[in-house]
Amino acid sequence: MRTHKNRFTVLGLLALGALVGLMAYTQQAKPLDPFEEAMRQRQMYLETFGILPGELFAEEGKELFFRKGPSGKTLEECDFGKGKGVLEGVYAILPKYFLDSRRVEDLESRVYTCMQTVQGFKPAEIERDEVKAITTYIASFSSKAKIQVAPKHPAELAMYNLGRELWYTRAGARDMSCAVCHDQYAGQRVRLSPVRSPKQGLGNEWPAYRFEEDKLYTMEDRINFCYESIAIPKPEFYSDVHIALTLYMLAEAAKAGHSFEELPFFTR
Amino acid sequence: MKKALLTLLALSLLAWGLAQRYLQDPELERVKSGGKAYAEVFVSQRPDQALCSIHRNRLPADLLPKFLEEQRSLIKYPQNGKLMGDWKKGGAIFNNLQKANCFSCHFGSPVHLGGDVGPSLEKYGLKRGQSEAVQRYTYEVIYNAWAYFPCTVMYRFGAQGLLTPEEIADIVAYLLDPESDFNTKPAVGSK
Repeated sequence: MRTHKNRFTVLGLLALGALVGLMAYTQQAKPLDPFEEAMRQRQMYLETFGILPGELFAEEGKELFFRKGPSGKTLEECDFGKGKGVLEGVYAILPKYFLDSRRVEDLESRVYTCMQTVQGFKPAEIERDEVKAITTYIASFSSKAKIQVAPKHPAELAMYNLGRELWYTRAGARDMSCAVCHDQYAGQRVRLSPVRSPKQGLGNEWPAYRFEEDKLYTMEDRINFCYESIAIPKPEFYSDVHIALTLYMLAEAAKAGHSFEELPFFTR
Repeated sequence: MKKALLTLLALSLLAWGLAQRYLQDPELERVKSGGKAYAEVFVSQRPDQALCSIHRNRLPADLLPKFLEEQRSLIKYPQNGKLMGDWKKGGAIFNNLQKANCFSCHFGSPVHLGGDVGPSLEKYGLKRGQSEAVQRYTYEVIYNAWAYFPCTVMYRFGAQGLLTPEEIADIVAYLLDPESDFNTKPAVGSK
C-alpha cells in the first residue's frame, strides 16, 4: 500500500503536468482529439514507468482479493456469476441476478455483498477504495471481452426497465436526463468530451484511470460524476440506481455488438 | 353528448394526474435506494419535466399551445426594464462552468473552446443587431428556453432560478453589445 502511495505521488505530478498541457491545448485554435491525447499520455506513462496506473489498482485489488476476512475466507469463495473462483469473463455478463442474495448485482455491489456474506466484514468496515481496487482486478479478466449483458430473469427485466425509465427521466433544476444528451446529441461534443449513446458502446471503458483527475473511476463512479455535472445529488454506492442504469446501458451496448476496451482503461 | 364530455374530462384528468411525475410509486420506492437527497429530485419532479419525459422530448402538436403558454407565463423581467445589462459581468457568467456554462454546448466564446451540442453563437450581436426584438428574443430564450424550444436540453436559467433576471440581462449584453469581447475578439477555435 505504502509503496503504491509513493508511486502515485510521482504519477500525480506527471498528471499535473498533463493537465497543464491540456489547459494549454484547450486554448489552442484547433481542438485536439481527446482520445488521441489519452493514448499519447498512456504511451508516456508506459515509457516513463513501464506500468500503467490502472494496473497498480488491479495489483492492489489482487492482494485484497486473496486477503482473508473475519470468517477466514478469501474472495475465491465468492460466486461472481460463473461459479466460485471463476473470474474469466465475469465482468462481461454483469449485472445479473444472484440466487444467494436474491438481488440483481453489478460487479461492485457483488464485491460489497461477498465481503459481508462470505468474508464476514461489517458494512462499516468496507472501504470504498478497496471495493474499487477489487472490482478493477476482477474486471481486468474481461479486458476486450464482448459485452454479454442480456436481461432474462424477471428481476433482471425489472431492473432493466427501471434503468430505462431513469435514463429518460428529466429532473432537477437543470431539467436534465441521461437521454437528452446521450441519445439526442450522440456524436457531438460537450466542451472537449465526445458524447456517446449506449448503442455506440457507452460504458465500455470502465473501470478506467482518468489522467486528468489522477483517479480510478469505476462504472458507479462514472455514473455519479454524470449526476454531479447535472447538479443532481449523487446516489449512494451499490444502489439499485447504479445497477439499473448499468444494466440498461450495457444491455443496449451488447445488442449493438460492442466489446469492452482494454480494462482497466486509460482515459481523460 | 354530456356523458362523452364527462368521460373525456375524466380521461384528461387522469392523464394530467399521471403526468405529474414520470416515475411511478414502485419505481420511486427503488430509487430511494440511492438515498434521500437523490430520491427527492425524482419525487418532486415538475409536471412539465414529466411531460417531456413521457413524450421523449417531442411533444405532440395538441399539447404544444398550452405548454408554450405555461412556459411563457414563467418569464419575468429585470426591475429596471433593461434587457441589456453589463457585458463584462455577463461574460464572467457565460464562461463559468459553475454558473451558466454556456460554452459547454455553444461555440463562440473568446475564452473557452465551445461544444457543438447547441447552435454556434459566433459574433452573435454583429450578425443580428441590437433591436428590441432581438434583445427580447435573446433574453426570453435564456430565461426559459422551453417557451421557444419545448423540452430542449438547454437549462431554463430564469424559470428554474439558476440565474436572476439581472444576470440574464448581463449575458444578453455580452452576446449583443458590439463593444463586448464576444463580438470584438475571435472565438476560440475559429478559423
